[in-house]
Amino acid sequence: MKRQLHAITVGALCVLGTYCPAGLVSAAENENDRVTALEQKLDRSLKLIEQLTARVKELEAQRAGTAASAQNVPPAPPAESSPQIQQRLDSVEQQLTQITDSNAARGGGGAGVPLHGFADIGIGNHTANEPGLQGANVGALDMYLNPQLGEHTRALFELTFEVDQQGQVAPDLERAQIGYQFSDAATVWIGRFHTPFGYYNTAFHHGQQIATSLRRPRFILFEDQGGVMPNHTVGAWFTGAEPLTDGKATYDLFVGNGQAISDGEIDPRSGGVDHGGAIYGGNLGYVFGETLNGLKMGVSAFRSKITNDQPYVNFTRVDNVGVYFAYDTDRFEHIGEYYRFSDSGLTPVGPTHKSSAGFLQLAWRLPIATPYARYERAALNQSDTYFAAQTEGMSYYRDAVGLRFDIDLKSALKFELGHTKNTDRLVQEWNDVLMDYAIRF
Amino acid sequence: MTLHAQSASAAHPVRMRCAALIALLLPLLVGAVGEPAAPGVGPLLDRLPPSWRDDRGKTLQLPQLLGARIFITMAYTTCHRVCPVTMKRLEQVQRELDALGTSGEFLIVSYDPSNDDPAAWRRYRVSHHLFRENWHFLTGTPADTERLARLLGFEFWHYDEHVMHDYRIVALGDDGALRGAIDSSHGTWRDLL
Repeated sequence: MKRQLHAITVGALCVLGTYCPAGLVSAAENENDRVTALEQKLDRSLKLIEQLTARVKELEAQRAGTAASAQNVPPAPPAESSPQIQQRLDSVEQQLTQITDSNAARGGGGAGVPLHGFADIGIGNHTANEPGLQGANVGALDMYLNPQLGEHTRALFELTFEVDQQGQVAPDLERAQIGYQFSDAATVWIGRFHTPFGYYNTAFHHGQQIATSLRRPRFILFEDQGGVMPNHTVGAWFTGAEPLTDGKATYDLFVGNGQAISDGEIDPRSGGVDHGGAIYGGNLGYVFGETLNGLKMGVSAFRSKITNDQPYVNFTRVDNVGVYFAYDTDRFEHIGEYYRFSDSGLTPVGPTHKSSAGFLQLAWRLPIATPYARYERAALNQSDTYFAAQTEGMSYYRDAVGLRFDIDLKSALKFELGHTKNTDRLVQEWNDVLMDYAIRF
Repeated sequence: MTLHAQSASAAHPVRMRCAALIALLLPLLVGAVGEPAAPGVGPLLDRLPPSWRDDRGKTLQLPQLLGARIFITMAYTTCHRVCPVTMKRLEQVQRELDALGTSGEFLIVSYDPSNDDPAAWRRYRVSHHLFRENWHFLTGTPADTERLARLLGFEFWHYDEHVMHDYRIVALGDDGALRGAIDSSHGTWRDLL
């Protein structure tokens, strides 16, 4: 009998040893509800101990062959728990398997803001955007942060490291946007964003891997690469989409700092303006539904008051109107854009100058590769201060054919043969043979 | 007396084992007899967000699919590089199931609920010739979409209007438990069968 009591005492002490430290900690934390819960657990534990003690007695009685003892022993409920234990163990095992599999698939992430981005390396008889250089060149390392902040607040940051013509690495905060999404129909962003003109500038960003072609159309290259459009705006942007009967309307309105031209390049004035100029504009598009599925068409316009860094600062009012289409399906990606400029000198007052630029790109998505062809043309009035002040503000045309191979889902190898001719300011022409290896991560 | 001493001696190890067993299993026993199941326990199907809208505009309750083999992927209607590959793989699985004389439910869940309404999915069905009744093109709330993606291991991120994602298919058994998963780096579609 003493040994029975000893065994029961050992069991009870083990049980209490399991639960008491937690109870003490809870008490120390003054969490009354937890203490109550633990007391309930302890009560259940004691009941179980009593039941199990009875079971032990029953077993002893059976082994000793004393039927009289067995008559006083109540039924043994723990035996009923065995299937439940097994079921619970199976369930825990299954849960662990599922969690392990899911976590492995996610790469064990889950904490902090995931860092994504793009990178590319090029080789050619010229570099993609600088005909005066040749050989291998580092394209860009593009870091993209898209933190999940809540139900309505949105944010994105795109930090790019590029190598300039002198071979120096230059970091550039290409986009820095914080926004509030009221609904699918209305999101307001503030910060530095891609100016919503046409289609290409807001469909393809700095990550070259997502673009079918090896390089952007020359006149909508980013500002520091020689583009002549104000690709970035620092200000506020209202954007959204509204479903219609057969399709969807998309709309954008924006206002921001008027750009400046500094050292021959357009400067979005991310730190603010000192001359009070502003850019404002909008974009209205229609995405077709049942009929012409995959087609988007639209118009865009902006007006900007742009300064330059000449000793006697010139103000130019740039008026731009554009039309565009994109036909994007599993088999085709065709894009066309056309823009008209009507720029007027404000200080000093000058005449209005007309210019135009546009491109047409046709691509076929085949199982093994995506061949594409593109023609682009810019006729830029050299009497227009806006273009004259830009290093790459000359007229040109370019035709190109290319091939994109998707090596896997995250990397693409692109080849392009191109012919470019500058048709004013400094007339010259050259042929490109280019290769680019682009990845995302 | 001798008999009693032998009995007690034989019972001692039994009692000690019982005492040790009580101590080891009590946490499990307490949970099993008195408390509700902890969150996360149960077949994977039961833990997925249950309610989704299909391409006919009707609500599909995932628990109703218990008892059927289920193949789940995520896609979006304006994806033209990765998702077509995923659909081809699903069609291969469907053909194999047909050849084996077995059935399954195919769930294609949108990565992009703000754009992929039922009408968009209907157009997708038509343009991709995916007319089988057991293929369900689903859209949920952004929160449910994120939760399902997390539970099933679909990693994706938004690059403006692009959804950056990989190819992945998850298979559940007729008990709703995880049966297998394949992606661009692991496994082939035959592993799902």
